[in-house]
Amino acid sequence: MDAVRLVRVAVAPLLVLIAGCAATGPALTVPGQGGIPTRVDLEQTPFFPQVEYQCGPAALATVLSGSGLPVVPADLAPEVYLPARRGSLQPELLASARRRDRLPYLLPPTSDAIVSQLVAGIPVLVLQKLGAGPWPGWHYAVVVGYDVETQTFLLRSGTERRQEIPVARFVTTWDRAERWAIVVLQPGQMPGAPDAGRYVEAAAALEAVGHINAATVAYQAAAARWPGDALPRLALGNVALTRGDLALAESDYRHAIELDPENVAAHNNLAEVLLRRGCVSAARSETEIATRLAGTGPLATAVDDTAARAAAGGSSDEQGCPAP
Amino acid sequence: MFKRLTVLVTCVAVLNLGSPLVAQAAVIGTMQAAGESGRVADLSTINTALARREVREQMVALGVEPAQVEQRIAALTDAELRALAGQMADMPAGGSALAVIGIVFLVLLILEAVGVIDIFKKFP
Repeated sequence: MDAVRLVRVAVAPLLVLIAGCAATGPALTVPGQGGIPTRVDLEQTPFFPQVEYQCGPAALATVLSGSGLPVVPADLAPEVYLPARRGSLQPELLASARRRDRLPYLLPPTSDAIVSQLVAGIPVLVLQKLGAGPWPGWHYAVVVGYDVETQTFLLRSGTERRQEIPVARFVTTWDRAERWAIVVLQPGQMPGAPDAGRYVEAAAALEAVGHINAATVAYQAAAARWPGDALPRLALGNVALTRGDLALAESDYRHAIELDPENVAAHNNLAEVLLRRGCVSAARSETEIATRLAGTGPLATAVDDTAARAAAGGSSDEQGCPAP
Repeated sequence: MFKRLTVLVTCVAVLNLGSPLVAQAAVIGTMQAAGESGRVADLSTINTALARREVREQMVALGVEPAQVEQRIAALTDAELRALAGQMADMPAGGSALAVIGIVFLVLLILEAVGVIDIFKKFP
């Protein structure tokens, strides 16, 4: 390779890099003074300057400490650092938070969502892409403030305790990382501007890896926050069933059905509880409804299974069963 | 006699391993119910057990201490395991902003060496 070509090859990524930094990005700015403070600075958020390539453990330790857990990056590195990648992957950050009974909540991909968390006093862990081409420069940082007047976000980033970055430039680097941002919540704590679906999914992930108590607290908070939504009730029924509390599970499923009479999962799971109670006839009438509602959708297989077991359950009902 | 006992214990252990799955088979979990409502479109068709094995192998290959691998895997959901399987070498791995600064320096150094620029005057 001659010198000129070598230069061209070497310079190309640099030009992309400069272009990336200079781009104004989409017209996203910190929203106007519509009821939000003009300036937020979560000063109390601790800072752990990163060592080597360990911005993942450093950023995670920052938000976990912000949620009241005394951890340092060295505690987290064995859980999230991938030596050969010289970095940390997003799912492993979520998993590490769950191991500590924290609820990682994925934000909607807007800078407004970040602002909402800061207004609620919650620091935000973000992924940025600072490089380009063969050097992507994936980087985790924690947003701890904003200033409407100077149009900047305030970050704990790398070895900088207070990095002020123009909103447009931040959004450009965040955009290239598909706008990934999370907050780490105590079970039962709500994020800023919470979304029911996102919150219950986050709690369900906690439940799926065996943290039943923390998940239950989160579902209870969701049921209180969204009393008209069937999903948190269904979720509470499921954790009650996991604990073996049939009576509580049954009342939660019935509550879910009241809120959403067409909820396939609630009808199916109610049938399951009734079967375990020995109430075959009542279970059958629930599976009939569930089968009709499920159609050929994704839940049909599970419903068919329950229906088959209800059909094979004989005809004698235990005492005290509800009327079918 | 001892051998027979070992076989018996193993059989019981294996049966127990399977039982929670069987007991839960007819219950539609919250994750599944929430996923049905829309956002969690699990496009991956890979089987979870296979995904778990792949992630385990990749973690070891990427330098994770074998003693840590199982704990790391245990905290991942099925959907996350499926997303990671086969992707761990390519997914974004947040590491360092410092690498970028290093690259800029490297590029300047190359430009200097081939004579395009002349900014490192103080270092003959």
